[in-house]
Amino acid sequence: MKTTISARELTTPREWVQNVWDGLFTTLAGMRITGRYLLRKPITIQYPDERMPIPDRYRGIHYLEQEKCINCLACARACPIDCIEMDAIRHGKELEWVSFSVDYQKCMFCELCVYPCPKDCIHMGTEFAFVTEDRSELKHDLLSFKGMSRDARVRKKEAEEKKAAKAAAKEAKAAAKEAQAASGDQPKEEGDDG
Amino acid sequence: MAALPIALNAAQAALEVASSEGGNLTLDLLKQYAPESVPAWILPLTAAAVSVGIVVAVIALLALTSVWLERKVSGHIQCRYGPMYAGGWHGWAQSIADGIKLLMKEDMIPLGADRALFVIAPALVLGAIFGAFVAMPLSPDFFFADLHLGAFFILGMSSLTTIGVVMAGWASNSKWSLYGAMREAAQVVAYEIPLGLSLMVPLIVAGTFNLLDASAGQSDWWGMGWYIFKNPFVLPAGLLFFVSSLAETKRAPFDLPEAESELVAGFLTEYSGIRWSFFFMEEYAAMYLMSLMAAVFFLGGFESPFLHFAKAAELPVIVCNLIAAVTLITKSMIGVIVMMWVRWTLPRVRIDQVMTMGYKYLTPLALLCVLGAALWEAGKVLIFE
Repeated sequence: MKTTISARELTTPREWVQNVWDGLFTTLAGMRITGRYLLRKPITIQYPDERMPIPDRYRGIHYLEQEKCINCLACARACPIDCIEMDAIRHGKELEWVSFSVDYQKCMFCELCVYPCPKDCIHMGTEFAFVTEDRSELKHDLLSFKGMSRDARVRKKEAEEKKAAKAAAKEAKAAAKEAQAASGDQPKEEGDDG
Repeated sequence: MAALPIALNAAQAALEVASSEGGNLTLDLLKQYAPESVPAWILPLTAAAVSVGIVVAVIALLALTSVWLERKVSGHIQCRYGPMYAGGWHGWAQSIADGIKLLMKEDMIPLGADRALFVIAPALVLGAIFGAFVAMPLSPDFFFADLHLGAFFILGMSSLTTIGVVMAGWASNSKWSLYGAMREAAQVVAYEIPLGLSLMVPLIVAGTFNLLDASAGQSDWWGMGWYIFKNPFVLPAGLLFFVSSLAETKRAPFDLPEAESELVAGFLTEYSGIRWSFFFMEEYAAMYLMSLMAAVFFLGGFESPFLHFAKAAELPVIVCNLIAAVTLITKSMIGVIVMMWVRWTLPRVRIDQVMTMGYKYLTPLALLCVLGAALWEAGKVLIFE
């Protein structure tokens, strides 16, 4: 520790005046800058109420167009870490959905599940905030509804009615054909009946 | 430490003045309207209680508002919004919510702390600052104590807060607190001198220690006869007073007693909950006190062209008083906002830089200002009279 101060380290009167001047004007210069920032509009946004625009090719939580999906498992097979699981029961052409889940503990948002989809029905969404209170909830079900959709039910009913009508028409035709045959060959008809 | 005898003397002077003149509006009102049967000794006590209640309420309100304002100012200087949710409009209720949180926190006293001093310190700090406010007039006819030595009394009482801070630092039984307290003591001893000397300059021009008289002395020139315009040495003295009052109120860039990045929270380290908020409130009250002093002695006090023309138009007294009070509060509010602005502009200085600035720069400059102002006034007397 130094105990003496040499004369050269002492502030000269000229330096003293310069220091006072600098102290005043650097403070004012700083205050001019902060004052400008004080008056401009803040650059932050009120996050939960308003959000920054999200780029078109952002890879967030998936969303599924369930109506289009044909349960072909192409996405699940493409997934490099096997985090997609799906299950549906097939009724003719229509599907009764049981589950379509993505495990977001594993998912790395690589988008490889999107490309192989033949119906273009799985997409990367724009939602990035996915918070749960329990780890098990991170296995997230993408289905918007369970079972069959209203349209699918209608289509299935229509298809069944059509099938029934077709069967009825076929039966009627067969009956008419038999009736025609019976008018020419009565005993055979009676024999059949008996 | 030197502040204690000064404060005691000032208190003595205040008591003598108060007993001789009874310069208290509430006491006058009580004397006028109280029934005959009430014993005479109750009136001063009641007047004191009412005055203290009003002072405490006003200061608490100002402190709460300025905490919110500080957060908004700091936010906008950093290009963000600051509190936006509590209460709806721009988070106006944030300070109330914070106050409720602080009230509900556990009241902790560390093991090994000096319990009595630890408990007294925040009360002393807050009491001293409230005591200083008693001598501060709110408008020409609304004041609690019209003291002949008003400026002296206020400086003495605001110096008394230092003793509370040193007490808190010593009683906390923590190294951080002790460092903070030592810094506070060193800093206040260094800055009391330029603070008092720079206040001497407008006092020389005004020729009085009384705040009401000092304010009334600026009413010429259509209410623009402020002391900074009357004497060329008052403006530099005002700047010196501003810098010294920043150090006196422990505001950044002189917040070395707290210095959260070096000393955790300095003398506040061991405090929590409502005791901590007492210190916090004292800081904002002291800011207002210093700004009010600057407004009264440098920036015209109650006087402005508004008041001048209101008086010229012979508006009712109550309206004139209201205009005066709004003028004073606005001026002090501007002072407080500039203090916040400086805080969010400059980084904290080192303790040796604080000492250098106090002893080597501010004190000589303040002495020069006092000398110059005195010579100027003497010259005016010699030339014109």
